[in-house]
Amino acid sequence: MEKIPSLQFEKEPIDKNSVRFILSNSRSAFANAWRRAMISEVPSFAIEDVRVYDNTSPLFDEILAHRLGLIPLTTGGDNNYLSRAECSCNNEGCEKCTVTLTMSVEGPLLACSKNLISHDPDVQPADPDIPIIKLASDQKVVVEARAILDYGKRHTKWQPTTVCGYKNYPSISIDARCDGCGQCVEECPCGILEISKRKVRVIEDKLDKCALCRLCEKICMNSGIGDMPAIHISTEEDRFIFNVEGCGSVSTEEIMKQGLMFLKREADSLSNEIRALL
Amino acid sequence: MIPVRCFTCGKVVSTKYEEYKARRDEGEDLKAVLDDLGLERYCCRRMLLTHKEIIDELTPYQ
Amino acid sequence: MAGSSYKCARCKQKVEIDVNVRCPFCGHRILFKERGAAIKEIKAR
Repeated sequence: MEKIPSLQFEKEPIDKNSVRFILSNSRSAFANAWRRAMISEVPSFAIEDVRVYDNTSPLFDEILAHRLGLIPLTTGGDNNYLSRAECSCNNEGCEKCTVTLTMSVEGPLLACSKNLISHDPDVQPADPDIPIIKLASDQKVVVEARAILDYGKRHTKWQPTTVCGYKNYPSISIDARCDGCGQCVEECPCGILEISKRKVRVIEDKLDKCALCRLCEKICMNSGIGDMPAIHISTEEDRFIFNVEGCGSVSTEEIMKQGLMFLKREADSLSNEIRALL
Repeated sequence: MIPVRCFTCGKVVSTKYEEYKARRDEGEDLKAVLDDLGLERYCCRRMLLTHKEIIDELTPYQ
Repeated sequence: MAGSSYKCARCKQKVEIDVNVRCPFCGHRILFKERGAAIKEIKAR
């Protein structure tokens, strides 16, 4: 019987936009599908069209617009917005699919993302202190930016994640031929090995820090032990360590949930199509 | 102007620039500053380390 | 040429270019082209 996949979260998240968790009893196909779904199939808001009314700053309009586009905008999971493609307004932009943000600033001032005034309080710059442009006196910028929902597969500015990856759970075994020379302890870049009673062992709770680089195997072989190293690095094929970091637009929880929901929708539509063929 | 995000991973780094600049000018150790600011990966660290601010030189031109 | 579409870099006066590229008020030879009044629409990419 197949085991049920399960999740186990790390006790303390590093910060609120970053999670590490272990996915057990799963397969690499699922882990990779989920990773890809989280990166490119979770919708988020980003500025797409910019109308420049006035810009006497030293930056070109295009650079300004590009900087605006990269600002992460908060996107709640239960928002009622549609993406442009699904909306009935024919790509024109209406209040069902577009959020308008305006910025009107005059120097001397370091214009930050908090100067961007959104008409929807739920869709705001995720961080109020992202510098956009530095203005000297008598310089002025007046822009109207229109943000839309879209997916990371279109442009990275819609990607809700920065880092999103996984590795197989490492498994390290040290056999009886280990003479405790300690070379692997020094070689390990992650510092997960230690010597205890003239044998090498993995420091408690540090096994998941292993980068699977196999430097310890290499140095062990070079220490004159023979053709085979005494330390063996392998992986558990059904267990994965995930590392998901959001950019602030969508919470990590929501990224994970919506990634799974996307996979479910895709699987459902595939099974429907197969059923239609039979 | 400092880029809004890290070119490689997409983390927002521009918010940390002001503090980085202030602490760098005080002569603090850059490694400690970058660690404090939570820039863990070397892609994000190089964004601040290698940035040259020229906006003040461009200011006279509109 | 319609109206004064240049601005002198030194004396900030509005200037029109006829034959010489030169500010008639201060003689400076660097002129900036003024920004048009049109609203520019661009993609944030």
